[in-house]
Amino acid sequence: MYFIFLPSFLIFILSFFKINRILMSVLAAGIILPVIYILNNPFHNEFFYADKLGGFVLLISSIVGIGVSLSLISLPERVNIDEKDIKLFYRFFGIFWFGLIISILANNMGLYWIGLEFATLSTVYMIKTKRTTASHKEAWKYLIVGAVAISLILFGIILMYSSAKANLGENAMNFYVLMKRTDKINPFLFEIGFLIASVGMFVKMGFFPMNLWLSDIERAAVYPVGALFSGILESAIILGFFRFSKIEYMINYSHLITFVYAYSIFTLFMVSFLLFRSKDYMRMFSLSGIEHMTLISLFWVSGGFFAALLHFAAHAFFKPALFLSSGMLEQKGKYIFKGTLKGYKNKIVPLLISLLLLGVISLPPSPMFFSEIFGFKAMIDISKGSSYFMWMISAVFLILIFLSVIFYKFVRVYQEALYEGEEKEKKVYKSEILMLIMFVVSLFSLLFGFDYIKGII
Amino acid sequence: MINLLMGFFIATLITELFTTRLFRLIMWYSLNSLFLGLIAIYNGYLINDKAMFITGIITLLVKFIAIPYILKYFFLKFNISRNIKPGLSIQYAVIIVPIVLVFTFYLITPLFADFIHSNYVALSISALMLSLLLMIEHKNIAAKIIGFLSIENSLFLLGISATEGMPMLVELGIFVDLLMLIVIINILFKYQGE
Repeated sequence: MYFIFLPSFLIFILSFFKINRILMSVLAAGIILPVIYILNNPFHNEFFYADKLGGFVLLISSIVGIGVSLSLISLPERVNIDEKDIKLFYRFFGIFWFGLIISILANNMGLYWIGLEFATLSTVYMIKTKRTTASHKEAWKYLIVGAVAISLILFGIILMYSSAKANLGENAMNFYVLMKRTDKINPFLFEIGFLIASVGMFVKMGFFPMNLWLSDIERAAVYPVGALFSGILESAIILGFFRFSKIEYMINYSHLITFVYAYSIFTLFMVSFLLFRSKDYMRMFSLSGIEHMTLISLFWVSGGFFAALLHFAAHAFFKPALFLSSGMLEQKGKYIFKGTLKGYKNKIVPLLISLLLLGVISLPPSPMFFSEIFGFKAMIDISKGSSYFMWMISAVFLILIFLSVIFYKFVRVYQEALYEGEEKEKKVYKSEILMLIMFVVSLFSLLFGFDYIKGII
Repeated sequence: MINLLMGFFIATLITELFTTRLFRLIMWYSLNSLFLGLIAIYNGYLINDKAMFITGIITLLVKFIAIPYILKYFFLKFNISRNIKPGLSIQYAVIIVPIVLVFTFYLITPLFADFIHSNYVALSISALMLSLLLMIEHKNIAAKIIGFLSIENSLFLLGISATEGMPMLVELGIFVDLLMLIVIINILFKYQGE
């Protein structure tokens, strides 16, 4: 089981020597074997807890990790950085991945936090790989915002720990024990802790009022950073949210629903109109990432566990693939939509990118289409026959309006990219085609895995 | 005794909010950490907990002595402007600070009946909010770093007083992360953008 840490650790060690980028990708692909072992043998001990949910998140984040390592093969050709910087990028990528595997598998809430903190601090340098004034400024911004968000999460964790320590002792730090023994928890203290921790998580995922820092940072950094954020970091954070909210679910459900609904719908309102005004691919993708995170948390707290997990998995494949393909789309300059899908020698690349662009706004048969249908069904189901049925209907209606704004923007950008502008020749590397094919195949395989995902919860 | 030390802790934190010079700010931060370490040591002595005793000593060594010294060295080396004027003028800050303190005590009133350490929780939450205020009111990056370190202190205060000590693993993890933060700050100062 501990072989799961080997690939990221080897990447960290090998980054001190001369870099062979293809070897690094092969090493990263090696993670799939221990992941399959963990999926088949769920276990829990004092520090680690690999149930079906954790295993599923681990599988998805590992596939994203492999995809990012594939895209790193062609990074020096796309962005102007030297050998020393690419070494440092690999080194911090290793630490980042290592930390997030720890926090995905953690049973101890403290261990979960330590993994997140490692990931946060290592990202600071990854943002600064491109030596520009903007990336320097954004690295500082990320250090401050990320560190504050992380400290809020820890503050919440300590409060939750203190809520159960009197009855459970040091075991109160374990997710597994807390979920089994919710009757032993002091409800008020736990709720304050949950509130503070989830505000920290929401800040980290870019919810209102911190909805601009994510897009600023991803614009200033090299493009794999955006993929790492949306694929791996947000998986770990949303897994923590899943676990915490399952405990809160048993303590006081109505508080949970009110808090998450108010926060999410307001965020969705801000984000949809910001996305409508965005002028480049990076900002568009990162704002749409925030949108999907709000949807996932809404579905999860409404009891649509299947919908939330499917949406989460689909988003974790779509968004990194789009971020990584923005390296291909933006070859002739930033802030250009027109003609970006034209001029490829290899005809399969524009086809794959169009599939991704149209799939992320849940055009069928994208997995997101099914997850949204099931999610809205779950939202209606919990309110059936109760006094707040009309509120729920209007919430669904509002969300659909915001989603249609985003839908309109994406379709318009797609049409501009395909039909307008002049045709210029664009380069594509083999590793990138491989990466795109990998993501699209895993998306299609999600469509056939409904039964498996239903069996997780 | 713990209440007295905690009072000093909050008092030094409030003084940080009104400081306009960088090195004074670092001094108040280090005094803040001194009281934190003393609380840990005294609490460890009271409940006879060796782990907390060790935590207190590490706090004194790292936060009271090492971090202020290293930060001072960095700020001198990279010529950071030492005149830091808060964006929030003092007359407003004077009103906001008591509001925060009263609000947090109001917030935890349901706890008074069934939790012994409820006022420690209130003081820690108010310390968290005051440190956030410190980060908000300054534009200078150095002051923001001190604000972040104060948040870390309020976390520790909560861990030490309300829960009577976290597992050792978590506390050591926090110290390692603090040191990594210092390394990252050094890297960020060193390679300024072109």
